[in-house]
Parts: sequence; C-alpha cells; structure tokens
Amino acid sequence: MLMSFSGIVFGVGFFIVTQAQTSGFQDFFIKTILGVDGMIRVEDRFQSTMRSMEAESGSNFQILLESNVRYIPGVQFPERLMATIQRFPGVVAAAPVVRGSGMLNANFRAHSCRPYGIDAEKHFQVSDLEEQIIRGSIEAFKANPYAVLVGERMAQRLSIHPGDSVLIESHKQNRSYRVAGVFETGIGQVDKERIFLHMPAARILLDRPNGASFIQINLEDPTKAPEVAERMQASLSHAATSWQWRERTWLQVFKVLRISSALTVSSIILIAGLGMFNTLAMIVIDKTREIAILRSIGYTRADIIKIFMYQGLIVLSVGILGGATFAAIITYSLSRLPIRIRGIFASDTFIVNWDIAHYLWAAAIATIVVGIASYFPARKAARLEPGVVIRSSGS
Amino acid sequence: MPPILEARNLSRHLGEGLTRVHALRNVSLKIEQGKTYSIVGHSGSGKSTLLYLLGLLDRAESGSIKLAGQATENLHDDERTELRNRFLGFVFQFHFLIKEFSVLDNVMIPMRKLGIKSPKAMKETGMSLLDSVGLADKALRMGNQLSGGEQQRVAIARALANDPQVVLADEPTGNLDRKNADRVFELLSNISRERGNAFVMVSHNMELAERCDVVMPMQDGRFLPVES
Ligand SMILES: Nc1ncnc2c1ncn2[C@@H]1O[C@H](COP(=O)(O)OP(=O)(O)OP(=O)(O)O)[C@@H](O)[C@H]1O
Ligand SMILES: [Mg+2]
Repeated sequence: MLMSFSGIVFGVGFFIVTQAQTSGFQDFFIKTILGVDGMIRVEDRFQSTMRSMEAESGSNFQILLESNVRYIPGVQFPERLMATIQRFPGVVAAAPVVRGSGMLNANFRAHSCRPYGIDAEKHFQVSDLEEQIIRGSIEAFKANPYAVLVGERMAQRLSIHPGDSVLIESHKQNRSYRVAGVFETGIGQVDKERIFLHMPAARILLDRPNGASFIQINLEDPTKAPEVAERMQASLSHAATSWQWRERTWLQVFKVLRISSALTVSSIILIAGLGMFNTLAMIVIDKTREIAILRSIGYTRADIIKIFMYQGLIVLSVGILGGATFAAIITYSLSRLPIRIRGIFASDTFIVNWDIAHYLWAAAIATIVVGIASYFPARKAARLEPGVVIRSSGS
Repeated sequence: MPPILEARNLSRHLGEGLTRVHALRNVSLKIEQGKTYSIVGHSGSGKSTLLYLLGLLDRAESGSIKLAGQATENLHDDERTELRNRFLGFVFQFHFLIKEFSVLDNVMIPMRKLGIKSPKAMKETGMSLLDSVGLADKALRMGNQLSGGEQQRVAIARALANDPQVVLADEPTGNLDRKNADRVFELLSNISRERGNAFVMVSHNMELAERCDVVMPMQDGRFLPVES
C-alpha cells in the first residue's frame, strides 16, 4: 500500500510538474512570437481566375473550378487596406512593413541582413519591440530618421554598439545609418538578420516609393486569429495568415511534447494503480473469513464494496494532496532554476505555468486509476458467498 | 406461540459432477423461542448444510424457510442480509474475530450495522455483553490477544449484540478443550434461556447436545425419528 501510495504521489506530482513546464514554455514561446511577428499578417494580393466546366458531358450542370490563383507580391495600397482592417471586430492595431534584403557593414565586416521599414508608433502596437531593446534606447531611434535597430546576434558578430555608424547596402543603394539600439527577441533567426529602419529611410534604401510588403495586425484575443484571418482573406483579396498557421510546426512540437509527457507520466500513476490493485486483491484473499463473517452479521455486498473503496479513497485523497504539494514545491523550485535558452525564445530560467487545470487533470487521472484499482477487488470481495467461505474454513 | 424459525421440505445438493451429493433430503423443522436445540449426527450427515440454510447463508433448491413470520426464499440478498442482522446470531467453530479491532469493537460490529443505538449505548451494551461472558476486563485488547476459549466467548458476545431471536451455532465448542467447551456451552444455553431466544447448536459432543431441550439426530441428510 505504501508503494502504491508513493506511486500516486509521484505520478500526480510529476504529471503536474511536466505540464507546468511544457505549457510554461509553450505559453512563453507564443508570447515571444506574438511579440515579434504579430497575430495576423496580411500580404500578397491574389487574383483567382475561375474556370467553369460541365459536370458531365452534355449536362448543363456546371462546376466552378478555382484553377489559377495568381499572387501579386505585397500590398499595393496599405493605407486603404489598413482602414478596412481596422473595421474588423477584435482588431487592436495594424502596422505596415516594408521588407527587403541587404548587407550590413560594420567594423570591416559584412553580414547579410533583412531591413524592415516600420512606422515606429504603429509598430509598437503590433509587437513588443519596445520591450525587446536591451541596449541603447527607443527614444534615440525615434529621434533620428536614419537610425537603425539591430538584433543582438548580429550586434555581437559585428561588434556593433549603440551610437556606432553602420553601412547598409541594398541592390540599389548604399547608405550609412546610426545604431540607436540593439534588440533581443530570443528567436535566433530574427536576432541574427532583422534590422529596423524608419519607413521613409527604408523606402529609399529598398527603392520602394510606395506600397508595403505586409501588414502586421494585433487582435484583442489571440485565439481568434485563425477565424479573423480567414474572414480577412475572404474579403480583402489578400493572403492573411494567423500566427497559429505561421508557427504550426513549433506549436505542433509543443503539443506533442505535452501529450507525450502526460502519457509517460500517467504511466507512473497507472503502475501505482496496478500495485494497488494487486495489494487490494491480496487483502481480499487474506480477509475472506472476515468478509464472510461481516456478511453473516448483516453487512450487505454494497457495504463490503464501500469498505474496500474507502481504503482506495484514503490512498487517493492523501496521494493527490501529497502529489499536488510535491508538484507545487518542484514547480516553484524549477521556476528559480537558471538555464539559458536562446533560439526560439529568450529565457534565463525555467519557465513554468501555474494552472489549476493541471492539478485537476492529475487528480482526475489518479481518481480513475485508483477507482478502477479499488473497484474490482472490492467487487470480488462483495461476491464472496459467506456460507461457502465459512463452510470451507470450518471443520 | 408461532415458531420463530420454520423450515419445510428443504432440499440441497452440494458439489458438482461425480462429487455431487444430496446433502439435505426434504428436511422440515420448527424452532420456538426460548428453547434450546441440538443437531447431532455423523460427519457428513448434513448438519452444517442445514444450519447455513436456516441462517440464510445459503439457498435451498426447494422448500421454504420462514423467519419471524416472513418467507425468505424469494428475498433479495440485501433483504436476507438485513434479516440476519436483526434476527440471527452466529457462532462458528472458528471464532472469526477481526484481529485489527479491539474485543469491544468486535462486539459492536453488528450494532454498528443495525444503527439503532447511539455510540455510547452501543459501548454500554458491548461492555455488558462482555461482562456476561466474563471478559469485561479484556475489552480493549486486540482480537488476537486472547486464548481460543476467550475468543470464542467474544464471538458469543458478538452473536448476541443485536439481541437476536435465534442463535445458530455450528460446533461452537469444536476447537476447545473439555473445560472451555463446557463453559462456552453453558454460556450459550444460559444466556439463551435468560433472554428467551432460541438456540440451535450443531455438535459432535453428545454430552453437551443432550443438555439441550430438543435433540435432533441426523443421518444422510434426514432427521432420524426420535423417541420421547
Ligand atoms: N463444498 C462441497 N462440495 C461437495 N460436497 C460437499 C461440500 N461441502 C459438503 N459436502 C458434502 O455434503 C454433505 C453434508 O455436509 P455437511 O458439511 O453438512 O456435513 P456435517 O454434518 O456438517 O459434517 P461435519 O460433522 O463433518 O461437519 C457431506 O457428504 C459432505 O461431504
Ligand atoms: Mg459441519
């Protein structure tokens, strides 16, 4: 019984801890990607040319075929499009971005880069760029029309510091800019390549006097992004992608991780349940005489089931309580554990998520397992025929 | 006064296939309150089989049993269990005490199930029963910290806990030496006479059996006719 009990404690505990971790990391990952690329991105106008076809030769029933969807890169009239986007329910802010590519030269070294031309005030409403500045300042960026923000990794590779002057080459231009700040998103690719310029400066650098590459949108409720994106796509004739679609690979990884850790850890509870089943089954065999005498004295089959289920209930409730306490302690300690993570997000400690649902799930799984593990031996005990038992243990 | 327990034409086979035996062949009997009965006979004559049927611990293939005026053969297991709790007390050859419980708690088990008395009243009844079997001073010992004879006396106190109308005993003295056997039998028959309940005992001990009001010899699943 002690073994099964500790199995329940550890099973429940580890279940909660692993869920707290995986969901903590997942939530942080989502927060990071939303803070970088926003919730919805509207880009590339499309024209679909419909072609119709007879359903069967000779019939006059026609099937519409979406034969060719032609994409025209970018957004031609961003102001007009943004005005429409703003009217969608749930939209908090929208910001245009002009994107290109080039080379950044500093300290006699060159590094490929992806310049993003932004409207600073608007962009801060669709990203966490302001909070991602780790050196320099956002004021310095706002103050200088030829200021640039560079990513942490690039800054490190090229030994760039705020205040430095850098040369950016595009296929058209070759201009120098002042580094106003260094940002860190935690996403490796972004921190290595992306640089932010003011929209007018970017237009000159990239030779794009008008239009935008895409519009980044922020919503009140991130979970609504897929539906909103779908509606935007349908009514704007522009491709609109939600963050869930954009980051589906990673989100999938997190989901699989959570499910697999839940399954793995549930197996501890399951094994504890098996142990408990075993113990109770042994007790039933050991106590046949006592069960028989209780039955002869006037205890019904239901009473016998209750007695055995009660044992299970005690193990269960103490096990859940112990497991939850254990989990809370471990979760707290983990959240204090230093660990440096860069690549898909930036964190210097374990990230945990305190969620009552994890506790409820663990309790539910333990309840089911212990319930089954107690019920079957209990039922076996209740089915004993007192007469048969007493006869065979008599003379 | 109508008999408290009445059996008619009870029949019961035991075992399967080749080992199947006709353990009881149309047995009838009446048990009246305030009287003591003994069932005697050779080993295998069907005494225990009959006692288990009378105690509603087993079901007959045919025949009927009335307990306290109520027909029992078509009752649900739960109703038969309740009848056992209210009207019957059992003493077996083996005492069946629960060793994790104290002596007093063992005696209180039937009262707990019946649930009529307050915990305090249950305790008092339990103590007075233990007193009447001479074990009041050992009430707080664990069930297994007693001698065989003492354990059997606790089992008697337990059988009497709900003031049963019928006490059924299957070789209650079978495991005891002469002196203890005597004492246990005296207790059972005296208490039954005092309380006015019926007492039915299966026994191999002819000397004790003959001290009962009615002696019923059995052979091959039947009662033998008795002179007197
Ligand atoms: N489980 C069983 N399977 C088959 N036959 C059984 C079983 N139990 C008892 N019997 C048989 O049923 C008959 C009656 O048995 P019962 O136990 O009633 O005898 P008894 O008179 O109580 O004997 P004893 O004095 O030895 O206790 C016997 O022939 C016995 O062998
Ligand atoms: Mg017998």
